[in-house]
Amino acid sequence: MLRNMVYFFREAFKSVARNHLLSIATVSTITICILILGMSVLITLNTSTFLDSLESDVEIMAYLEQELDNDGIKTVQGELESLSGIESITFVSREQALRDMQETLGKKEYDLESTLGKNPLPDSFEIKAADPHDVPDLAVEIEKINGIYKVNYGKGVVEQLFSTARWVRVVSLVFIILLGLGAIFLIATTIRLAIFARRKEIYLMKLIGSTDWFIRWPFFIEGIGLGALGSLLSIIILASAYGSLLSRVETILFMPLVSGTDILINLYLSLFAAGAVLGIIGTGISINRFLDV
Amino acid sequence: MLVQFYNVSKIYANGVKALDDVSLKIDGGEFVFLMGPSGAGKSTMIKMLYREEIPSRGQIFVASRSLVRMKRSEIPALRRNIGVVFQDFKLLENKTVYENVSFAMEVVGANYRDIKSRVGEVIKMVGLHGKEKSFPNELSGGEQQRVGIARALTNRPLLLIADEPTGNLDMHTAQEIMELLFDINRKGTTVIMATHAMELVKAAHKRVITLEGGRVDSDINPGEFTLC
Repeated sequence: MLRNMVYFFREAFKSVARNHLLSIATVSTITICILILGMSVLITLNTSTFLDSLESDVEIMAYLEQELDNDGIKTVQGELESLSGIESITFVSREQALRDMQETLGKKEYDLESTLGKNPLPDSFEIKAADPHDVPDLAVEIEKINGIYKVNYGKGVVEQLFSTARWVRVVSLVFIILLGLGAIFLIATTIRLAIFARRKEIYLMKLIGSTDWFIRWPFFIEGIGLGALGSLLSIIILASAYGSLLSRVETILFMPLVSGTDILINLYLSLFAAGAVLGIIGTGISINRFLDV
Repeated sequence: MLVQFYNVSKIYANGVKALDDVSLKIDGGEFVFLMGPSGAGKSTMIKMLYREEIPSRGQIFVASRSLVRMKRSEIPALRRNIGVVFQDFKLLENKTVYENVSFAMEVVGANYRDIKSRVGEVIKMVGLHGKEKSFPNELSGGEQQRVGIARALTNRPLLLIADEPTGNLDMHTAQEIMELLFDINRKGTTVIMATHAMELVKAAHKRVITLEGGRVDSDINPGEFTLC
């Protein structure tokens, strides 16, 4: 087996050297495919992170009836806590609410308390759902609780945000899958040319009694190698371009850019693996028809 | 019995009937000529022997194994027992004589030491000693065919199939190649040779199977042929 592996690697290297123009073509094709794929993934990643943060900002405001005393408030809180799918509950007293409003409106222009004479705001709970998508259903549940007179969560706007976010995710996923398929097709075609150049040799190997796998191995090694080389090149280009973008700006159109090292390293490693896998799939698709002797 | 054909027919997808109910047997150690005009079915028959084609009807056995029922994974083992020599030599132009021959052993996974001793042996046997480092385009047609024969012999096949091996060679060179094939046959290898060259066949005094329109027209054993 070891002897065979040495033979397979030697054959793979010889093949790359012998067909260097085709090898360059294959590497460039893979580089370009992975580069486009990587850019799409980066755009999707940024969009989806942004959408996640928008979605997680969605919360339910539950306003309490004015005449509720402290025990009543405790009872409501207990009932809220017994609901499933809730991540956090924060009590906002009417005084706190007024101070917050004052803050938002600006301190100098008006003094709300003296303008209004009394505090018109109710006590309330700020409720965060574990999954933002449960918010509309939760709001209905919460509204049923005794002591709560109104629930607000941005009805209409929130549903639209969720459906837009879902649409964006589906479209970008489909786009990435299509790009991947296109890459497979392109790479398979280039590799088929390389194999075609050696069809006489493959035919002879078959007639002499080579097993299919003995013939496939060097081609697969070549495919993995060229795929890995191509994706490495594209990662270098992508990483330096995105890195220099990050060093200049932090946001594009209010959208914060993803800059976590872990996420980016994972992305680059995945792209590298994708290159090798594309090389394998491309070889796999191309070689079988030549083995049918 | 090395090769057996039982009522073998072959009809290609385009409707052409290449073989029509062919039955014959070839013993181990025989030397058999396969004759007949172009399109008589010689090539189809030869391709069936190493299972590049399978019959539409009938059975073929090589070394007691059915080629019709043979699984794809069993084909390599069959082919390692069969050496094939081609009219156009089918040498790899970018490999030397030595590499063209050693190639046949490398691709079946032989070890380096066996390859070294065996390749030297067959190259000597076909009379190309000293030309190991030459490339095919530096050799004459006859020499190139000798490389083809050496390659077919390296894995010690039971059966050597030669498809018009002298078709591209002049008469004198063809006779030399014939001598080499007879020599190989004398050492025990069964040889089946398809050819058009009547002079070579007449001089050989070997069994001759003639195909005509996909059927066996005549099957004449040594001795009988000279009486015709």
